[in-house]
Amino acid sequence: MMKTGPRLTTALPPDTIDIIQSKTHTRRVRLNVGGLIHEVLWRTLDRLPRTRLGKLRDCNTHESIIEICDDYSLDNMEFFFDRHPGAFTSILNFYRTGKLHMMEEMCALSFSQELDFWGIDEIYLESCCQARYHQKKEQMNEELKREAENSRDMEGEEFTTTCCSEKRKKLWDLLEKPSSSFAAKILAIISILFIVLSTIALSLNTLPELQDTDEFGQSTDNPQLAHVEAVCIAWFTMEYLLRFLSSPSKWKFFKGPLNVIDLLAILPYYVTIFLTESNKSVLQFQNVRRVVQIFRIMRILRILKLARHSTGLQSLGFTLRRSYNELGLLILFLAMGIMIFSSLVFFAEKDEEDTKFKSIPASFWWATITMTTVGYGDIYPKTLLGKIVGGLCCIAGVLVIALPIPIIVNNFSEFYKEQKRQEKAVKRREALERARRNGSIISMNTKEAFGRSVELMDIMVEKSDEKTEKLHDNHVSPSVQRGTPKLKGQMSPCSPIKTLESSYQEQAKPSGSPQHLSVQKLEEMYNKMAKIQSQPDFDSKEKGPLPKAVGMRAEFEMACIATDGISSTAEAVTHLRSISSIDSFISCTTDFAESSRFTHSSNSNVTGKISTNPSLEPTLEIEQEGSQGTRTPQTGQSKKTSLYSDSPRGPRFNKPHKSHSLKVNFREGEDTGTGPLSDSSSVQSPEVSVYTTASSRTPTKSPENLPPSIFTFHDASINQFIDADTDEEDHLRDGSGTNPSQRLLEKASPKFGHHSSFQQGSNHKGGLQRKLGNSTLPLEGQENHVARELQPLHGEKSHSNA
Amino acid sequence: MWTTPKPNYRRGFCAEGEIAVNIGGVRVVLFGDVLNRYPESRLAELVKCPTQNHEVVSSLCDDFDPSRKEFYFDRDPDAFKCIIDVYYFDEIHIKNGICPICFIKELEFWKIDKSVLDECCKSYLSEKEEELTEISNKVKVILEDMEVDQCFTRAQRCQRYLWRLMEKPGSSLAARVIAIASFLSILVSAVVMCVGTIPELQVTDSEGKLVEHPILEGIETVCMLWFTAEYLLRLASSPNKLNFAFSFMNVIDFMAIIPFYVVLSLTHLGTSSMMELGNVQQAVQALRIMRIARIFKLARHSSGLQTLTHALKRSLKELGLLLMYMSVGIFVFSALAYTMEQSHPETLFKSIPQSFWWAIITMTTVGYGDIYPKTTLGKCNAAVSFLCGVIAIALPIHPIINNFVVFYNKQKVLETAAKHEVELMELKSGREARRETRANRET
Repeated sequence: MMKTGPRLTTALPPDTIDIIQSKTHTRRVRLNVGGLIHEVLWRTLDRLPRTRLGKLRDCNTHESIIEICDDYSLDNMEFFFDRHPGAFTSILNFYRTGKLHMMEEMCALSFSQELDFWGIDEIYLESCCQARYHQKKEQMNEELKREAENSRDMEGEEFTTTCCSEKRKKLWDLLEKPSSSFAAKILAIISILFIVLSTIALSLNTLPELQDTDEFGQSTDNPQLAHVEAVCIAWFTMEYLLRFLSSPSKWKFFKGPLNVIDLLAILPYYVTIFLTESNKSVLQFQNVRRVVQIFRIMRILRILKLARHSTGLQSLGFTLRRSYNELGLLILFLAMGIMIFSSLVFFAEKDEEDTKFKSIPASFWWATITMTTVGYGDIYPKTLLGKIVGGLCCIAGVLVIALPIPIIVNNFSEFYKEQKRQEKAVKRREALERARRNGSIISMNTKEAFGRSVELMDIMVEKSDEKTEKLHDNHVSPSVQRGTPKLKGQMSPCSPIKTLESSYQEQAKPSGSPQHLSVQKLEEMYNKMAKIQSQPDFDSKEKGPLPKAVGMRAEFEMACIATDGISSTAEAVTHLRSISSIDSFISCTTDFAESSRFTHSSNSNVTGKISTNPSLEPTLEIEQEGSQGTRTPQTGQSKKTSLYSDSPRGPRFNKPHKSHSLKVNFREGEDTGTGPLSDSSSVQSPEVSVYTTASSRTPTKSPENLPPSIFTFHDASINQFIDADTDEEDHLRDGSGTNPSQRLLEKASPKFGHHSSFQQGSNHKGGLQRKLGNSTLPLEGQENHVARELQPLHGEKSHSNA
Repeated sequence: MWTTPKPNYRRGFCAEGEIAVNIGGVRVVLFGDVLNRYPESRLAELVKCPTQNHEVVSSLCDDFDPSRKEFYFDRDPDAFKCIIDVYYFDEIHIKNGICPICFIKELEFWKIDKSVLDECCKSYLSEKEEELTEISNKVKVILEDMEVDQCFTRAQRCQRYLWRLMEKPGSSLAARVIAIASFLSILVSAVVMCVGTIPELQVTDSEGKLVEHPILEGIETVCMLWFTAEYLLRLASSPNKLNFAFSFMNVIDFMAIIPFYVVLSLTHLGTSSMMELGNVQQAVQALRIMRIARIFKLARHSSGLQTLTHALKRSLKELGLLLMYMSVGIFVFSALAYTMEQSHPETLFKSIPQSFWWAIITMTTVGYGDIYPKTTLGKCNAAVSFLCGVIAIALPIHPIINNFVVFYNKQKVLETAAKHEVELMELKSGREARRETRANRET
């Protein structure tokens, strides 16, 4: 940034010839990537002409270069890229050696982004690094996918479809999310107790001492235990049905593995009842009995219901599902070992008398028990050969089982870790949301806060330029206002209601973090701006015939005349003056930052920013730089504007626009706002263009970059600075930031409506532009430069936001 | 060592006997006498060569700035910072994060021998190199598969087609069907082999002996015929017959087939000629065991099994260790148990070799219970032997498992890497072709 300073201040972008000359002059080029300077031969870059750096070689115009890099300086042939310097070393080595390797500590995802930026296909990555890269990338993709699924699940739980969605949601939360409330937790515990109870009852039922005998002499359930069973089943059924009813998506609920388990736990009971009831009289009792027995066994499935309440069990299930490959391998190994050793032991033991190894399938049992090192001892080899086989079988079994298990274990531990991490992430997200709802987010996201403060600055710019326009209308020179802070000081007490209002606004704001304070200060500043702005409004409309204000006006005019006398030597064309008045907006904004009246606010603003986010310092420096740059020529400028203000053409072209100011909509202002205005800066004398460039280096600050309507810019800037974390709160806050002015305006001029001031602002600009459009015809050749000037700014903006 | 001056970064000018080099933007001033320690290296040559001679200079470096006496090299500065260490410390360590393959290229450029690389980094390098060779092998295989038919004779084309059909299940649908069929036939023959030994399913022949059920025998014959046909087709279509015959998988295939034919011929001989019937039957019995070999045929269809064999081959040392631990333990504990159990009148430990069996079963924690100690001392010994067995098995098994896991994971990674390599080669060849066409057009 510092190196490129000279280029920007010399205003005009270098000619194509200059660029070509300096390019042919040097064999080497310096690439400054995020602060790290690399030096490389041009011919090295030529090796890959289609990449970003390769294209740099062919770029001979300012625009094309600025499209490729973020900044450059021809003096020492240095190009600046605002990218990660670590990744760039490996990328530059790709040009040098033709082999793309990846730094080990790089994150695969960010490396792939860097590759995208530099225009290199990831396929060029050498195979030694490729493996790692792909592995990581796949992992990341998987993780991202899982996260997306999770969020989708969260979103999927929307209850908008049918009636009483509120109650259903509550029920769903109660049943499905034990952590959501105390009642839900209790419900979950009851559910667990029922599961445990029913399984205990199930196992007690099989104790012969507790069993009854029915009329056929066969043992049946104990009646007490049967009651317990019935109660448990009733609870389970109720739970299932309630879940089903409250679920947002029935089919998804039905398909869910946990719910399938629930269903399987309930169904056997009903099936048994159905079968016994319907077949009581029928003769095929034996068959029914057998079926009933099978269903009784299925009751044991209810123990799996515990999985709902234990993440450990869930992750076990998930692991088994994920590592079915390894499980298959384990089973395959075991099966092969069993087959081999059982046949070996069969041939070894076959001839022994009354051997138990009668056939190969019969010795499967022995092989299994030996390989898993259980060793019941019901079958064991007796011959020497058989014993040798047995010994080998033991060792092989230990090996074979031990081998694939670590992979499964690894899967499990990874998944378990992931599960834990996700739980934490969910908690964090919830906390974040809560914080947002409470409005204490500001301290959490400095970027956001900074974005907002910049916005407020923009508003100020907007306001100030409106104000100056207004002052033009009133033939009050802005120079007077700006040059004499005393006057301003007098001005603010002249509307006591408004000060009250603003102070009320201030008090209403909860003051917490330093950023917050700075924002508050900015708002305060803004409020004052609004006051100032609303004051001339009264004057022009003659709505609020406040005698004091009139007096003020008189004072203004007096000062105006005084300055007029001094600046009579200025012979610039009126157009030029009007242009310089645009400049004066800029200088005005910087003036506010520096002016004695707002010193406290600006200072606190700056310090607040520095204290919260050191990375913002460069921008701040530039701001100050710009302000200083504009301050010095300010007086001359003000002279010009003052000259303009009493020129007869001023009111003439201002008034017609004002008359239909309400009809001008935002869109129009926006369309005409950026283009022709930039023309205006091109017409300026070089001296003037210095300020514009200086100020335009803080892109959001300069009026050229803003669409004239504040609200549209608001949204855009919010979206840019606060990407994912935007929420209503911010909008509201911003809205409240702008609201006072509106309210003031409304109070002052009920006829005017909400957006009058902004419309006027845009309108004035439009007027200027139109006029300038005519006047600058001979100067069209210079338009390019301005466009060039603006492009990098936009580019930078988009880069920083991307 | 610390008296040697360190390289001087970012110093403005250089005095006599010093040279300034600019490595990709990083400026270093180096002492000529230090550089001369390795006279072969590029920097030492640079010191020696006269700066007026532009040809020599430009052959050594990329650019020369006569005003500042600065030599410019368009190389990686990070790697250079490591390489410069050799002049001061006589050894090089690869900086963490630099790919070793890449680093070796840099070493070659600076004309410094690879041997100065320190041991710790060498192992890392060799690891990477091994990986690369493996990938290149895989790539070769893939390229062979993709190779367009260059053989002109019909016989050759047929051979190639057949080869792909039999060996590459992924190449076509027919090949996949064949692979599945052979897999199923292995399973069926294994099941038949097992089921054939169940006494209830056996039938008595004319001499009152139990023989296999004729249906099972029929299935067995069919399977055997299929195996034989498969083996012969493979052999016929293989480009290199000798290699084929001695490769591990095909030896197993051969072993699975041959018992069947030997038994067939033996029974035929036994009935026709005057060979002793008992001998023949014994031989047949022995050969029947060899049928088990067919189970190993499954390895052809399972990458997991191949990995297992690979891992076992790699960890032969550890396996040996395991066996040694076990055998030592067996000897010690069986001897101890034997002596301790002598006092008991009804001892189950009749001799030391007999108690070997007990020791194995105890140390592997199987514990059949056919032999068990009865005296207190013997029981204590059993407990100790059990503990020692667990440790003796667990210790050497860990590296084996590690080998297996590493292999298993690497297999997957290498597969993707090889595929990628092929793509890269295609891309590069395509680019070269394009460049050539462009050059042709220009000329």
